[in-house]
Amino acid sequence: MACRTACQTIQRRLASSAAVVRPSPAEVRCHRSAVFTREQARQRALYPRTEKIEVALQGAGLQGTLLIMNKGVSTPHSCARHLTEWHVTSSALALVDGEPWPLHQPLTKSCSLSLLSFKDKEPLLVNQAYWRSCAALLGQVLQDAFKDDYTVELLRIPEVPVTSGAFCCDVVLDSQLDAWNPSEESLRSLTRGAQLLIHRDLPWEPLEVVPPVALEVFSHSRIKQEEVEEKARQSHKGTVMLYRCGDHVLLSGGPLVARTGLCCQYEVTAMHRLGESVWGLNRRAQGLSLPFMLEAHHTVWRKLRNRAAKQVTLPIDSTDALPDTLTPPHAPWQTPPPAPQQ
Amino acid sequence: MRLTLQMLISHGRVARKMGLGPESRLNMLRNILTGLVRHERIETTLGRADEVRFYAEKLIDYAKKGDTDEKAMKMANFWLTEKDLIPKLFKVLAPRFETQPKAYTRMARIPKRENLDRADMAVLEYKGNPFPPLQPAKQDNELTLINQLLTGYREERAELAAAIDEVHSATI
Repeated sequence: MACRTACQTIQRRLASSAAVVRPSPAEVRCHRSAVFTREQARQRALYPRTEKIEVALQGAGLQGTLLIMNKGVSTPHSCARHLTEWHVTSSALALVDGEPWPLHQPLTKSCSLSLLSFKDKEPLLVNQAYWRSCAALLGQVLQDAFKDDYTVELLRIPEVPVTSGAFCCDVVLDSQLDAWNPSEESLRSLTRGAQLLIHRDLPWEPLEVVPPVALEVFSHSRIKQEEVEEKARQSHKGTVMLYRCGDHVLLSGGPLVARTGLCCQYEVTAMHRLGESVWGLNRRAQGLSLPFMLEAHHTVWRKLRNRAAKQVTLPIDSTDALPDTLTPPHAPWQTPPPAPQQ
Repeated sequence: MRLTLQMLISHGRVARKMGLGPESRLNMLRNILTGLVRHERIETTLGRADEVRFYAEKLIDYAKKGDTDEKAMKMANFWLTEKDLIPKLFKVLAPRFETQPKAYTRMARIPKRENLDRADMAVLEYKGNPFPPLQPAKQDNELTLINQLLTGYREERAELAAAIDEVHSATI
């Protein structure tokens, strides 16, 4: 315990000293991605022997299908690749034993699996995951959009319901940009950045890590470190979920969809000022997106787009009312269970 | 006997020729129509289904006059070669379409016949039959992403309209 606390303080010191030198965004990205890769390799090495697990598939036309997969290697995505191409392209999220499970996360035990798509009878879970993923994509675009002279700090991604009309991503820009108001062209260039990412069809790779690793990943950003600590305190197992898309590592409050290519129509619609906070001027970027199976006609799209430009007001205590953080914070992260190391 | 654009420009050959002659044509259509009344859904070639459809509709129009009507009974007697179907026509089909002014039948194309002649095939049916529907029912899910967005949009519109109404009533 004492050692962990010491480590934490040292890391914070390092973070504060690093903030003075201010490494370039490319270096930060590189560092985060490298730590992520290292941790991913370590977790994969936990299963040196090939062990088999049985995955019972559920869903229309798949009743009774049993797949023999590799423990710790096979993901729901590889299960889908044993079925048809339709399953590969259209599944966005998986349900493993009734729990939402990212499509690229390896399976660790015999389980029942159902693949979820946007056109299911009960797509609410997928919709929420899609909305979260679009907000994550928007954060990634904002992080990459500015010149190296300006710092961009992403705040916690607010969880908004789909019916509110737009997903949003809170961001603190450099203090030199406080007077800047994004024009139509700037929003359009952000949209273009997002569409480039969608065109590259990058997967969101999930990784469940213990907080020290997450703190090392975000060692350049004080805001993110606080978010890591809070998330770890709120979760059952004392771990946090990291996702990587390209070389951008992000922290998520829930599962994300499989890949960026699932987005079809995507537009950054507005950027509002929220007011001052301790970090600087908060801004809220908003956007609208639809997945590839549910494109809208341009007249409908225009109406939805005009609505998405209005500022989204979060419901009260929305930060606490997330479905996966409803449990009381009983397990502080200082005593994580040894499960991930085994 | 239906006039189509193709038949209009076919230089006088305005009728579809079926069977060995006019009488043979009528006999063939009578047999098909009898089958239709008995089974309520039949599968024939596209041309025959298209021809017999007109007579199937007309027969119901006569049947709706009631079995005491002389002309109606004559028509039923002529078109139904199996006489046990006459009560069915007046007691089952006519009451079924009582409120419906026209369009009692439905026709759908199906894949071509598999044997050598590869004829265009069609399904002809009386509406309201007990069989499963020809085409799967359209599934419209309120919970898909775009429908959820549109629901939110409509709710906001309704709220806005209500607010404007309130302002109006307050000023008046």
